[in-house]
Amino acid sequence: MLSELGNLSVLISIILSFFLIFFSLRELKLNLIKPTSKIINLSRLQLSFTIMSFIILLLGYLFSDFSIINVYENSHSTKPLLYKVSGVWGNHEGSLLLWINVLVIFSYLFFKKNIGVNKKFQLLTLIFQNILILGFFIFLVTTSNPFSKIFPVPQEGLGLNPILQDPALAIHPPLLYLGFVGSSIYFSAALASLISKFDGKNFATVSKPWVLISWLFQTLGILVGSIWAYYELGWGGYWFWDPVENSSLIPWFLMTALFHSILVLEKRDGIYLWVIILSILTFTMSVTGTFLVRSGILNSVHTFANDPSRGMFILTFLSIMIFSSVYIFYKFSPTEERSFKFFSKEFFILTNNWFMIFFLITVLIGTIYPIFLEVLTSQKISIGPPYYNTVLAPFLIPLLFIMAYGPKTSWIISKPFKIKKILFTLLISSLITFFIIFLIDQKNYLINILLISSLYLILQSLFDLFKNLDNKKQKKTFVNKSSLVSHLGFGLFIFFISLNSIMSIEYDLNIKVGEKKQLNEFEISLDDLKVYDDKNFKKFVGDVTILDNKNNIIEKLKPEIRIYNSPETITYEASIKSNIFSDTYVTMSNISRSEFYNIKFHKKPFMNLIWLSTILIVFGGFLRAIGRKF
Amino acid sequence: MKNFKQLFISLIFFGILFSNLFANDNLQNKIYKNLRCIVCQGQSIADSNSDFANTIKSVVNDKVNEGMNEKQIYNFLSQKYGDWILYNPPLKGNSYLLWILPYVFFIIGAIVLFFLLKKTLKHKRY
Repeated sequence: MLSELGNLSVLISIILSFFLIFFSLRELKLNLIKPTSKIINLSRLQLSFTIMSFIILLLGYLFSDFSIINVYENSHSTKPLLYKVSGVWGNHEGSLLLWINVLVIFSYLFFKKNIGVNKKFQLLTLIFQNILILGFFIFLVTTSNPFSKIFPVPQEGLGLNPILQDPALAIHPPLLYLGFVGSSIYFSAALASLISKFDGKNFATVSKPWVLISWLFQTLGILVGSIWAYYELGWGGYWFWDPVENSSLIPWFLMTALFHSILVLEKRDGIYLWVIILSILTFTMSVTGTFLVRSGILNSVHTFANDPSRGMFILTFLSIMIFSSVYIFYKFSPTEERSFKFFSKEFFILTNNWFMIFFLITVLIGTIYPIFLEVLTSQKISIGPPYYNTVLAPFLIPLLFIMAYGPKTSWIISKPFKIKKILFTLLISSLITFFIIFLIDQKNYLINILLISSLYLILQSLFDLFKNLDNKKQKKTFVNKSSLVSHLGFGLFIFFISLNSIMSIEYDLNIKVGEKKQLNEFEISLDDLKVYDDKNFKKFVGDVTILDNKNNIIEKLKPEIRIYNSPETITYEASIKSNIFSDTYVTMSNISRSEFYNIKFHKKPFMNLIWLSTILIVFGGFLRAIGRKF
Repeated sequence: MKNFKQLFISLIFFGILFSNLFANDNLQNKIYKNLRCIVCQGQSIADSNSDFANTIKSVVNDKVNEGMNEKQIYNFLSQKYGDWILYNPPLKGNSYLLWILPYVFFIIGAIVLFFLLKKTLKHKRY
């Protein structure tokens, strides 16, 4: 029943997409000032039916309708409500439906918001967006229909992978999708803008909010994902430079570059073509990432159940997207004349773009190089954290200094640096770094310089922030507070990451129940092991005590080994005691054919502060999104 | 002014000198992190709980105790399991491009920026 309804509403949405394209094309030729209400109504209908198809799938999960294969494969009647809901997008088919929903929602909102801006631009954007929608609907129907039926109807579902049964992971995919699928709207708008010869300045004004919104969600999505990885994977880290993490980071670099450079276009009417290129690239890269993940080409923790025909479809679609964008770009791109002075906001923003593109290219090369190498020479190599750290980290140093100055510069031509102030700030940040080096054993040059430069950015942003809060009268020296907040957040982020990387302590030991192990400055004992039965899993809980040199108890922790029954999976739950300055982190696993347990003990400083500084980065963007005053 | 600079430069210098006195990173842990668990999906030896990872850990421990240095251990393991096991691909024939390309693009970016600054550019596309 639900299955038929689902298929029906998908079908209606597809037909509505055709209608939208058809009528928009017709209205393009008519002599109108703005699109007629027919288009808006069609768009609204499309929105309703697409959301309805999603709700129907959701109902399938809520009522455990196992006649739908997708529900049968990914749900279970005893599963908690939250994970029934998140199960909808915890699999390929459902997440594709979510993807399409985001495409449609953004399409509708963009259309609604910009009525009367420019008829041709608006209709063309709608057409391009609907071509995307149609493409993904066809993908959904032909290779990954979430509403396919199964007969005879099974009594019970197979259950959701326990590692995905987690609140952070329940909201991680929707956030990310709002980010990188949201970028589709400025992809479409960029192509439309080229063809309709839309004014560059207006294009910037119209698409700026969408870039910012998608960036906000993308950042949050990445943050939630890495928080999840930190406590759920039990590996003690929060970023693994996993290919799939990389494919969420690549669009992030582009969005960051874009919402900086779009300001140049808005305020100075320059670099129109570059902004267009970035807009097109962001969504293209998002789809490329999806292709790499869903086709199973990459070896990664995120790999979904994959299927070559899906890979082929996305690859074909991607190629069409790229070729037609390149064609439209060459055919319609206008002549542009612009020059910049060295000391201007324009220049600083372009420098940001330069670094972002460098980061992007490095991450991209690191992600796809092994694939190409294997295809061409059948040699297999791995590219992991050491590569990215070596190549990327040194470039953060100049970036941090540039970020300290960017927000203060003015358009066209800025006042020269005040050398004395720069040196003073440098002096203070070096002193603080010096003090830190003194406190902890520290041997890494790169980290020392990173500490100095991130402190420099932090101090500079704080000075500027306080200065701008103070004298409200001085409107002449208007400095964007939201960007100061975000830059401050980034400075703190790098500062805490650097400290975390050098101050983390970790031990990996094998221990029997009742045994004690002496480490350098700690003593660890596994006092007891208890077995409990829970609703849908059985768990072994270890009692781990951490003592210091003088035999004082520092922490008592309870890491778990969980054995889920549907589907049968073993997961290792980290036990984390966390405060603002430091996390104590223990995971436990059994070693097969022996009575030993493997205990990983981490002391990880400033984890919460790393999360908080990322939230500060997002907060800056949020301030900008809600009001022009900031 | 001059004093400021001198003070600053000497500070940095001392910072670097001073900081080099300490070195107590746990070698084994560092090596675990740079090895891929080749039976897992994108996990390092340090992260993994698999039997394979446990075996490799004990191999690494033995080799460290035998007095092998980091590089020798990587060589030993990559001879046995191929470069696939190393997260930090060594610079050789098949990875020159990997290590060089990012810098090439960085320089290209610099050149583009330079020309943008230098004069009013007349350009159709870039």
